Amino acid sequence: MGCETVIEAKLDAGPTQLSVDGWITDKPGPQTIRVTQTAQYFDNGPAPAAVGATVTVTDNLGKTYAFTDPDKDSYYVWTPTAKDTLGRVGRTYKLAIAWQGETYQAISVMNRTPTIDSIIFVKKKPNPFSTKEGYQAEFFARDLPGGNDYYRVQFWQNGVLQNKRRNLITVQNAAFRGSADTDGLQFIRPIRQSINPDSLYALNDEVRVEVQSVNADAFLFLQELAQQIGNGGLFATPPANLATNILNTNPNGRTATGYFVATAVRTGSAKVVAATIRAQ
Amino acid sequence: MNYVVRIGLLLLLTTAAIAQNKQTISGYVKDVANGEGLIGVSVYVKEAATGAVTNNYGFYSITLPQGQYNLVISYVGYEKQTRPVGLVEQNVRLDVELKTESRELQELVVSTRREDDNVKKIEMSVNRIDVKTMKRIPALLGEVDVIRSIQLLPGVSTVGEGATGFNVRGGSIDQNLVLLDEAPVYNSSHLFGFFSVFNPDAVKDVKLIKGGIPANYGGRISSILDVRLKEGNAKKPEINGGIGLIFSRLSYERPFGGSNGGESRGSFIIAGRRSYADVLAQPFLKGDLKGSKFYFYDLTAKANYRLNDKNTVFLSGYFGRDVFGADFGFNWGNATTTLRWNHVFNNKLFLNTTAYYSNYDYTLDSDLKRKPANKNDYFRTNSSIINYSIKPDFTYFLKNNTLTFGGQSTLYDFQPGTATAASAGDVRTFGLASKYAIESAVYVGNEQQVSPNLQLQYGLRYSLYNFIGPGEAYTFASDVPLGRSRPVAATRVYKEGEDIQTYGNLEPRFSAKYELSPSSSLKLSYNRMAQYIHLISNTTASTPLDVWTTSTNTVKPQIGDQVAGGYFRNFGATGNEYEASVEVYYKWLQNQIDYVDGANLILNRYLEGDLLSGKGRTYGAEFFLKKNRGIVNGWISYTLAKTERQVDGINNNNWYATRFDRRHNLNVVLLYDPPASKRWSFSATFSLASGTPGTFPTNRYEVQGQIAQVVGARNNYRIPAYHRLDLAATLQGKRRPGRRNEDSWVFSVYNAYARKNPFSVYFRQNTDNAGTTEAVRYSIFATIIPSVTYNFKF
Repeated sequence: MGCETVIEAKLDAGPTQLSVDGWITDKPGPQTIRVTQTAQYFDNGPAPAAVGATVTVTDNLGKTYAFTDPDKDSYYVWTPTAKDTLGRVGRTYKLAIAWQGETYQAISVMNRTPTIDSIIFVKKKPNPFSTKEGYQAEFFARDLPGGNDYYRVQFWQNGVLQNKRRNLITVQNAAFRGSADTDGLQFIRPIRQSINPDSLYALNDEVRVEVQSVNADAFLFLQELAQQIGNGGLFATPPANLATNILNTNPNGRTATGYFVATAVRTGSAKVVAATIRAQ
Repeated sequence: MNYVVRIGLLLLLTTAAIAQNKQTISGYVKDVANGEGLIGVSVYVKEAATGAVTNNYGFYSITLPQGQYNLVISYVGYEKQTRPVGLVEQNVRLDVELKTESRELQELVVSTRREDDNVKKIEMSVNRIDVKTMKRIPALLGEVDVIRSIQLLPGVSTVGEGATGFNVRGGSIDQNLVLLDEAPVYNSSHLFGFFSVFNPDAVKDVKLIKGGIPANYGGRISSILDVRLKEGNAKKPEINGGIGLIFSRLSYERPFGGSNGGESRGSFIIAGRRSYADVLAQPFLKGDLKGSKFYFYDLTAKANYRLNDKNTVFLSGYFGRDVFGADFGFNWGNATTTLRWNHVFNNKLFLNTTAYYSNYDYTLDSDLKRKPANKNDYFRTNSSIINYSIKPDFTYFLKNNTLTFGGQSTLYDFQPGTATAASAGDVRTFGLASKYAIESAVYVGNEQQVSPNLQLQYGLRYSLYNFIGPGEAYTFASDVPLGRSRPVAATRVYKEGEDIQTYGNLEPRFSAKYELSPSSSLKLSYNRMAQYIHLISNTTASTPLDVWTTSTNTVKPQIGDQVAGGYFRNFGATGNEYEASVEVYYKWLQNQIDYVDGANLILNRYLEGDLLSGKGRTYGAEFFLKKNRGIVNGWISYTLAKTERQVDGINNNNWYATRFDRRHNLNVVLLYDPPASKRWSFSATFSLASGTPGTFPTNRYEVQGQIAQVVGARNNYRIPAYHRLDLAATLQGKRRPGRRNEDSWVFSVYNAYARKNPFSVYFRQNTDNAGTTEAVRYSIFATIIPSVTYNFKF
């Protein structure tokens, strides 16, 4: 129902703010934190880099990791020496950014994540009106019992991250937000089957799935992001600014946007072949 | 509370004492064709220059000194009658039956029922729409619609077409008390908001009270929409029906019970409607869509039975449901039952006692078809609000005074949501416990003719709300920044029947009318209203899954105060060809609910922690001009209005326009009956309204490959204006001599010049190019919508 038309709109611009997109993980290899500036809403093109910032992450044992951006492309990187990994489940990480005379901080705890048990495929039509069939993927993972756990799920088709608006998948225990006490359950089916592109997978496609732990507040941030980017139609909610955990140490200083998240990642992958295909 | 009752009794006794040694004329006024009681008929006594108006059951009473009188009984659309009455030593019972005027004379429109009601009646801020008029207004897909019709009246607006409910004088949709034969209807829509639940074949009278609300009404702070059902033809069986694009309708009414001097003692009507798109589509649904359900229906019924001259009972009911879904689906609906007993104690004292039951519930099911393959994985949830209520209302007719008094007591059972989820065979049942409350009220009101020019209506209502156990009460952390979710700090468990929280409110009501001349008057009113239940919804249009909730220890009752003033004037041929009015109003609202950003409203035990509370102010001017008669008749209404809220934690605590704020709102309704044609009639409506506000972004930034918005102030922009023209033509079937059946064709065109009216404007990343941001206008109907409906009656 309804009809969408792209129109011209004239908007006022607000003051420029520092923006942080910082996800550090317990995966081996380099870690990246993106530090940019907000732009006018209709300024298409990549976000302008916040050049010359000092970016560090310190864990609760006092170890500091320096992130640098020598090529000034807004991606501040920490590269491990030898077999070092940055993230450890259970540790608390503090981000500090000094930029243009202001100092910003953010804190995140790296929570636990369940492993992915298996990924299977079923031959199906992507929607009832479709004439072609594809392979619908379903992954199995079980929420860790006890307490409230929050996760994000991401997936890759043949190495390409699927990142459309509706691919922002968030999980509270084994289900969607607030809907239930699903502690310790197998992820509910809509989540298990959420790792599919529009036209499903083809034979021999490679599928990789990640379950990433997030803090309760980061979960809320992702919820708000999902709502904001998918907002519209008859049942839209009032647009609002997303929460941020990037706080200026000077309460009267310039504010920032974005989020710093420490996440533990568990990965599963499978190929669409006879061994992983199940009967309908 | 006691002193209110005492004052009431005192008033009753003193006025009763004054009224001795006079006689009373009383009785019912009915429609001769079908025996329906007529509401608001003028009964005027020429010699005494006084009169009365029939009540909601068609009953009137006039007390006069002994003597010879002529009663003039008049009602718009009916032939006037003059009846001589001799009042000697006994009271007189006079029942009158009125006959409808022939077509040439009856071109009446919205209406105050007496021709000069607009000027002469004390009520202000009240609009009635005749079912006859409603049936002639061009309708979306040809479906005659009560809620859409009242949106053409001054002071009434909507957040957008297709949205559930309506907004009256800047109030939100949950602030309207929608009554169907006195039982509240919690969701007045089918198919989200496209059609309303009232079957036009069963509706007799629709009255919207926006201000000067009398003391007998309470429980909502913005308006009362009082819908009364037909009683059923008491003279002969009748069948009405119609076939439209959406619904097929059929109703049957007839007299029953032993005949009493040619007239039966009772009558009933039963009317049903069902959408049938699914029936037609069924053969074409294959594969996963096979067995898909998408339909809505409603059943409305009413019966009345006259036990004797003093006692009549009425039983009415409504049952409607909407079902949508293939595998995943919804199912929601209202049910109401009302039992009423009219008792005439004597020719001055009239009692109506109403007992009702009302239920609104919804179910959400991930497995509507209960497939075996889904037996290990499903999700089901349901929610409801149930009421039981009893409500005695007395009317005491005295010379120059009409006293009303009574009370009401309602038991609420709120079920905010229970759910069952299964994942890989593990089943979990959970949900929120029901909440209970009792809302009680007593009131007394009087309508007094102070002098020939001055009439007053005043009253007092005392409402009392008890939020009771079994249940839990929560307190929330107070050290959270304003506008963010507050975590629960403490929980206290209450036993069955234990008081958790009590609220009481005195609600004064006052209206005055001063006649400047026989054709013009000034009116003033003030009312305070209290509302103890709240619809929890943070979406632009309310959804059927929005939950009604109670006032609690942390959620305070909504209070609304309104002052209104107006000038009313009739003019033209016979003095009443045109009616005009100008009204201004100002309202103050307290304890208005809003929501923290990212609020979780579904199955949230600690919902109250996500609610914010603020205040509102809303004001405006309404201009109304109506032509009652003639080949071309109809009305023009224009409203200039503003409605704002201020909530700590939203918009930096500054005032902001509500989502349904429309500065200008113009509606034109034209009905045309070409004299040359006996069979064709035409109508047109035009609506023009300022765009509603929207919250637009100022800046953007990137997170996780998505573009996020930095938004400005709440509702900082306006979307483009709304305008629409609708047309309709009705062709009456040929009347054959000796045949009772009638039929007609209604052809209508909605959105005649195919405007893409904006419902909202929102901002997003381009679907194909995620780095590009764009503004999108969303329209509900972007094209012209023609329809044809066939109606029959025999």
